[in-house]
Amino acid sequence: MGILKSITEWATNPWGQNVPIHIAWFLIWVAALAGLLFLIVHAIYVRYFAKAEEYADDSSPTLATALPKRIPRHSLAARLFHWIMAASMFTLLITAFLPKIGLQFDWVTYHWIAGSVLTVSILFHIVHASFWLDFWAIWPDRADLIDARRRVLRFMGRPAPPPRKFAKYPLENKLYHGAIIATGLAAIGTGVFMLSRVRTIFFPRNPYLFSDMTWGLMYVLHGLAGVGLIALVTVHVYFAVRPEKLDITKSMIFGSMRREFYLKHYDPQRWTVRIQPSDSISTDRKA
Amino acid sequence: MAGGLDSFDWLKDRIKRPKVLVDLSGIAELKGVRTTSDGIEIGAMTTLSEVVRHPLIKEKYSLLAEGAELAASPQIRNQGTLGGNVSQDTRCWYYRAGWPCYRAGGNICYADTPTGRNREHAILHAERCVAVNPSDSAPALIALDAKFVLRTPKGERIVDAEDYFIGPDIDITRLHILKPGDLLTAIRIPSTWAGSKFYFEKVRDRNVWDFPLLNVASAMQVSGGTIERIRLSVNGAAARPLRLKAVEDAVRGKPATAATGEMAGQLAVQGAVPLQFNAYKIPLMRNLVKRAIGGVEEAKWAS
Amino acid sequence: MADLPSERQYGVGYKLIGKNYVTADLLAKVTGRSKYAEDFRAEGMLFCKLLLSPLPHARVKHIDASQALALPGVRAILTADDLPAPADTVTDNGTVIKASKWGERGLTMEPVYQGEPILAVAAVDELTAAEAIERIQIDFEHLPFVVDPLDTLRPDGPNPRTDGNIWVTPSGAQGPAVAQLKWTDADFAEARHGRLPIGKTPDEWSYGDLDAGFKAAALVLDETFVTPDVSHQTLESRSAMAYWQNGKVYLHTGTQSTTQTRTAVARWLNIDLDKIVFISEYTGGGFGSKVTGGVSMIIPALLAKKAHAPVMMRISREEETFIGRARPGFPGRMKVGFSKEGRILALDMFVISDNGPYEAQGDAPTSGHMVSLLYQPQSMRWRGVTVLTNTPPRSAQSSPGGLQGIAIIEPIIAKAARRLGVDQVAIRYINCPEGKARYGPPVQGQLQHATSAFIKEALQRGAEQFKWQERVARSPKRIGSKVRGVGVSLSCYVGGTIGFDGLLVITPEGRVRFQSGIGNLGTESVIDVHRAGAEVLGIPWERCDVVWGDTSKHLPFSCVSGGSQTTHAMTRASHAAAMDARQKLQEIAAKSLGGKPEEYTVANERVSRNGHGSMTFAQAAQRAIELGGKYDGHEAPADINKMTKASIAALAGQGLLAAARDNYPRDGMTHSYVASFAEIEVDVETGKYYIVDFLAYADVGTVIHPRALGGQVLGRSILGIGHAIGQKWVFDPQYGAMVSKRFHHNKPPTILDLPVNMQWAALDIPDPETPVGARGIGEPPVGGGCASILNALSDALGDGIFQRAPVNADTILTSLEAGRPMQHPLIAHI
Repeated sequence: MGILKSITEWATNPWGQNVPIHIAWFLIWVAALAGLLFLIVHAIYVRYFAKAEEYADDSSPTLATALPKRIPRHSLAARLFHWIMAASMFTLLITAFLPKIGLQFDWVTYHWIAGSVLTVSILFHIVHASFWLDFWAIWPDRADLIDARRRVLRFMGRPAPPPRKFAKYPLENKLYHGAIIATGLAAIGTGVFMLSRVRTIFFPRNPYLFSDMTWGLMYVLHGLAGVGLIALVTVHVYFAVRPEKLDITKSMIFGSMRREFYLKHYDPQRWTVRIQPSDSISTDRKA
Repeated sequence: MAGGLDSFDWLKDRIKRPKVLVDLSGIAELKGVRTTSDGIEIGAMTTLSEVVRHPLIKEKYSLLAEGAELAASPQIRNQGTLGGNVSQDTRCWYYRAGWPCYRAGGNICYADTPTGRNREHAILHAERCVAVNPSDSAPALIALDAKFVLRTPKGERIVDAEDYFIGPDIDITRLHILKPGDLLTAIRIPSTWAGSKFYFEKVRDRNVWDFPLLNVASAMQVSGGTIERIRLSVNGAAARPLRLKAVEDAVRGKPATAATGEMAGQLAVQGAVPLQFNAYKIPLMRNLVKRAIGGVEEAKWAS
Repeated sequence: MADLPSERQYGVGYKLIGKNYVTADLLAKVTGRSKYAEDFRAEGMLFCKLLLSPLPHARVKHIDASQALALPGVRAILTADDLPAPADTVTDNGTVIKASKWGERGLTMEPVYQGEPILAVAAVDELTAAEAIERIQIDFEHLPFVVDPLDTLRPDGPNPRTDGNIWVTPSGAQGPAVAQLKWTDADFAEARHGRLPIGKTPDEWSYGDLDAGFKAAALVLDETFVTPDVSHQTLESRSAMAYWQNGKVYLHTGTQSTTQTRTAVARWLNIDLDKIVFISEYTGGGFGSKVTGGVSMIIPALLAKKAHAPVMMRISREEETFIGRARPGFPGRMKVGFSKEGRILALDMFVISDNGPYEAQGDAPTSGHMVSLLYQPQSMRWRGVTVLTNTPPRSAQSSPGGLQGIAIIEPIIAKAARRLGVDQVAIRYINCPEGKARYGPPVQGQLQHATSAFIKEALQRGAEQFKWQERVARSPKRIGSKVRGVGVSLSCYVGGTIGFDGLLVITPEGRVRFQSGIGNLGTESVIDVHRAGAEVLGIPWERCDVVWGDTSKHLPFSCVSGGSQTTHAMTRASHAAAMDARQKLQEIAAKSLGGKPEEYTVANERVSRNGHGSMTFAQAAQRAIELGGKYDGHEAPADINKMTKASIAALAGQGLLAAARDNYPRDGMTHSYVASFAEIEVDVETGKYYIVDFLAYADVGTVIHPRALGGQVLGRSILGIGHAIGQKWVFDPQYGAMVSKRFHHNKPPTILDLPVNMQWAALDIPDPETPVGARGIGEPPVGGGCASILNALSDALGDGIFQRAPVNADTILTSLEAGRPMQHPLIAHI
C-alpha cells in the first residue's frame, strides 16, 4: 500500500471511507521523462558505443536472387489497424493528459470515442491475428531467447557465438508488443467499464457497477497504463524515426520493405518469404 | 472572500480549509456604482441591496436590479455582493455535502446516476458533471452585455460577461475563469442597452430565500413591433449562464410576439437532455424564453 | 373581507377569558432578552461536538480516539458504552414498562441512520472539539440498509434493523416489538402501475358492511397518494447545557413540558427524580419534536459528569436535521364509495408509515381514527403497517397521522365532488361529524365518540366568510397562463386530555401565583390556561403571577404540550385549583368571620358575606398560614400526582395553597375541528403557484386568548401548507444519505409564500364536556392547511397532475406537458 499511496490520490467517499480516485498526476511527467531519458541514452549509446551488428552467416545467394525486389511485410488490413490504433492512441493520450497539465478543452467526448475506436480495432486485431495472421510471429520463441543470451554475453565481452538474424519481428519488437498488450489491455479493460461513468451512446450512465474501492483501483490502473503508454509511445515513435529503422517504418506505410534490408537483418529461415511472381501477396499469412 | 455567504458554508462544514483567507470588504475602490463615459461601472464588492436600490440602475438597467432583487433573501442581499453573486459556486447538494465528485476533483457525478436525485440539475451542456450555476444576477449582466474587469498577476483583463463563465467540459472544478491570484474588481455595463425593453423572470420553489430552478433575462430593442436587437440569457439550465445566441439570431427582425417567442422557446431547448427528475426544466425554459420575447399576459381577475 | 378577526367579539360574559392581553414572557421575547438553552453560560463551561455516523447502518467494531485525546484542550469523550442502561418506566398505577431494547439512547454502537451520533467530545472550545472529532478513527462493519419503506417490504428487501423491518404490538406483551414482514412479488405487481401495493398488514380494524357500501355506491374511487417526510425544523435546535452541583444535575434545553421532561431525564439517566433540576423558560418551537425534550440532552449531562465541568452542546442546523425529528411520510391508498349525493358509504383505507429506525410512532393508527371521525363513513376498514427505515428518527409532528390521513382522503373527496357534480362544501357538509359523533377504531366492539363537534357550522360560516360560492362561480378561471382554483378541506385532531393537577398560591400580599409546569414553546398556553383560574377567582390579571420554566420552582404535574392537550387539560386543572382556592377562601372566611362557607362569595379580591363583613385575599392568605394544614399546603390532597405533592410540600406555608386534580367528568373524547379554505393561482407555463387567499374557521370550544389562538390557527395551517407547497426529504438511495440536509433544502414556508391577508375565525361555542368549554388547537388546523391547497390545485389543474405532496413546479409542468401524471408516486424521497 505504501507505494500505492504515494503515486495515487485519495478521497473520502460519502461513507467516510478512504478510496483512491486516480493516479497522482506528477506521474505524467515521470513517464514523459522516462521515455525521453530512454531515447537520449539509447541515441548516445548507438552513436558512440554500439558495435556493428554481427550475425551468424545464413545467407543464401540463390534465395537473394529469387526474392522480389520488395519484400511484402504488412497486409493492408494490418497496416490499417496499426494506423487506426496509432491515431486513437495519440488522441487518447492527448485528450487524457493535456488537460491535466493545464491545457483545458472539452476532452471527454474525444477520449471516449477514441477509446471506443481503439477497443474495436484491438478486438479486430486479436481476431485477425489469431485466425488470419501467424499468431506466434509476435511472441518470443526459443531462438529469440538463445540469441538474446548470446548478445548479452557478447556485449559483456564474453565469448559467445554471434546471434542469428531476426525472424519477422526482432525480440525487442516482440517485447515492446508484449508491453503494449499489457498496458493497452489494462487501459482498455478499465476504460470499457469507465465508459459507464460518462454519457456515451452505448449504455445508460451507471457509476455504481462496482464499489467505490474497486472503481478507485480501476481508475488508478487506467491511469498507470495511460502514463505507461506515454513512455511506450515515446519510445515507439523514437525508433520509428531512427534512420536505421526507417525501412521498417516505411513498410508499415507501404506494406513492403527493400530486399536488401530484408536480407541484411532477417533470417529467411525464420521469416520465410514465399517466392511468387507477384509481390502483391503478403507474407504474413499463415504458412 | 467577498460577502462570505458562499465561503462560510464551506468553512463551517470544514470541507474547504484554505491556509489564507483574504477579506476584501475593506477595499473601498471595490465598492460602489460609478458612471463612466459609456454606461456604469459597479464595484465587485457592491452589495446586492445597493445594486437593487441604486437609482441609475433602477432607471436604465432595471434588468439587473430585478435579477439582483430576486436573489436569496433581504438579509443575504444586504451582505452578499454582486461580484460574489456571479462568482458563487454551484449548489449541487452532492458537491456541497463534500462528496468527492468530479467538481471536487474526484471521478464521479453522484447526481447523474440511475438513482441520483437531480431535480435541480442541468439539462444542457452537461459533461460528466450536471451541476448548474445558481446566480440570478449573471443572466441579467449577460443580457446587458456587461464586461467583467479582472485583475490578474499579468495585469488587467476585461472579458465579456458570458466569457467569464465556464462549463465542466472546459474546467470541471470551477464555474468561472478566475484562477488563483485573479480578482474580479468591477463589472461595467455599457449604455448600449440602457432603457431597453427588459424581461426578467425567476422560477423557484419558495418566493424568497431560494435558488432559481431557472431564470431568464432579456434585453430587447424593438421598433415598430420588430425586434431590432436582442440579448437573451438563461441560468439554472447548465453549469454556466447560457447566452442564447442562436435564439437571438433567429428572432432578430421578427415581430416581438408570442408566436416568435414560441419559436424561440423551441429553439432554446434544442439538444436539452433531461435527467430522471428534471425534465420539467425543458418546458420551463421553453416557456421562459417565450415570455422573454413575447411577454406575459397579466391576469386581471374580477373581485 | 367582512368579519375580520379583529371585529369578532370573543369572551362575551367573561372578564379574562376570550380577551386579548400581553403575556408575561412577551417583552423578553420581542426584545431578545429571553434566554434559551444556548444563551446560558457557566463557570468553566466546555463545549461538545458529536461524531455522526457516515453510514446508514453499521456496527462500530473499534474506536481509536488516541489522537483526539492527545489534542490539547480535549477533556472527555463519551461513547454509547458510557450511557447508563435506561430505566424501566413505572406508570402512575404501578405498572412497569420495560425499557425497549430497540429504543434510541442518544449515542450508539450500531448506528441505524446516516447522521446518528456515535460519540461526543468535550473540549475547551468548539473548534478543538471539532478537530478532535476528525482525529477519531472508527472501524465499521457495514450492515444492510434501506431508506424506502416499500423496498424493505419486497421479498428480498433489506432489513433496517438486524431483527426486522416493522413494528408490531403483540397482544399481552409489553410495548411494541420489531418484527419482519415481507410481501410477495404478486403483492408488488401493482406498484409498476403506480398503485400502492397492498400486502399483509399487522394491524387492521373495521366496522359496518364494507362490501354492501361499495355495492350501493354511485362512485367508487381507488387512489394512491404519498405524503412527505417533513422535518420539524424548530427555530431553536435541540442545544442543551448541563452541569452537576451537589449531586444534582442542572439541565437547560427546550421542551414541550417542563415537569414531564424531568421524568424522561430520570429514566434516560437512570437517576432519581429529585436529583434533576430542569430549566426551560423559553423554547423555540416544538411541534411534537420536543415533547419531553430530546434524548440527546443526556450527552452534555453525562459529559459534564465525566469532565467535571459544565458542558454546552450546541446543535447545528444540519445536526438538527438528523437528530431533530420529522413526520413519518405515508404512502397511502384509499378506496372510497360515494352515494350520488356524495355521502361516503364505504371507505377502505391502507397506509404505510415510514417510521425511521426508532420508537414506534402512532401516526398510522391515528390516521384511521381521524379519517373515521372527520368523514363519518358508514362503513370503514383501516389497515396499516409501521415500517422501519434507515432514515432519521421520527416523532409526532403537529397532527401526527391526522395530516397524513386528511392529505390522502381530501383529494379523493374533491375528485368525487367533481365527478358527482356536487359542490365541494356540500359534500363535506353531508359527511362531517356533528355532536357526539362516533368513530373508529371500535374498542371492545363499540365505536368511540367525540365530546362534541360543531364543524358543520364552522364549514357553513367559513364558506360564507370566504365567499365560496362567488369564487366557485367566477368566470373565466383562466386568463392567459394563469389559472385560479379554490379548495376547501375539513380538518380535525384530538383536542385535549384530562386528569392533571392545578396548583396556585394566594400570597399574604394578596397576589395569586399560578405554578405552571407547562412548557413555554411559543403557544402561550403556559400562561393562557391560568386565565381560567383567575376568572374563577374573579381577580384582575394584574394581581396574578405565573411561575414557569424551572422545576426547582415547585411546579405541578402538567400535561405535555403535545396532541393539542394543554388548553383543554390545563384550563380544567387551573379551574379545579381555583375552585379549591375558592372553597378554602370561603372556609377561612367562615372560620374567621362566622357563618357558613357557602354563604361567602369570592369577588373583587375579597371573600365576603352579604352585609356581614369580608376579608381580602391578603388577609385570607395570612389566615391560611396561621391555620396550616390543608390551607397552607402542609396537607395535600390524596389524589394528586407525587410531583405535585413534592411541590406543595416545598411551597407549604407561603400563603393559601390551592391544589387539585382535574376530576371533572367527561363523556367522549375531546377533538377540535377546522374548516379550511384556499384560493390559489397557478401559472401553467412555469408551474409556479401563489396562494391568493386563505381562511381557517375553527371549532375549538371557548376561545381563551384570541391573539394566541389566531397565531395557532394560522401558524399551524402554515405548517400544513408547507407540506403541500414544498417541504420534503430527499435521499440518495445508493448511499442511504439525505441530500436535502440544509435548512434551505428543507424549505419551510416563508412569509412571502402566504397570502398577505390570511384569515381565521373561531365559532366560540363551548365544549359541553369541560368546565371552561375550551379545547386544544395546535394540531387541528394542520391537515386542512395542506389539503385545502392540494384541493385548490386540482380544482385549477384537473385531477391527473399529482399523486404526492408537496406539489411544485416540477410536478405540475411535467404532468401538464405529458397530459398525464408523470411523477412516479412510489419512489420515496425524491
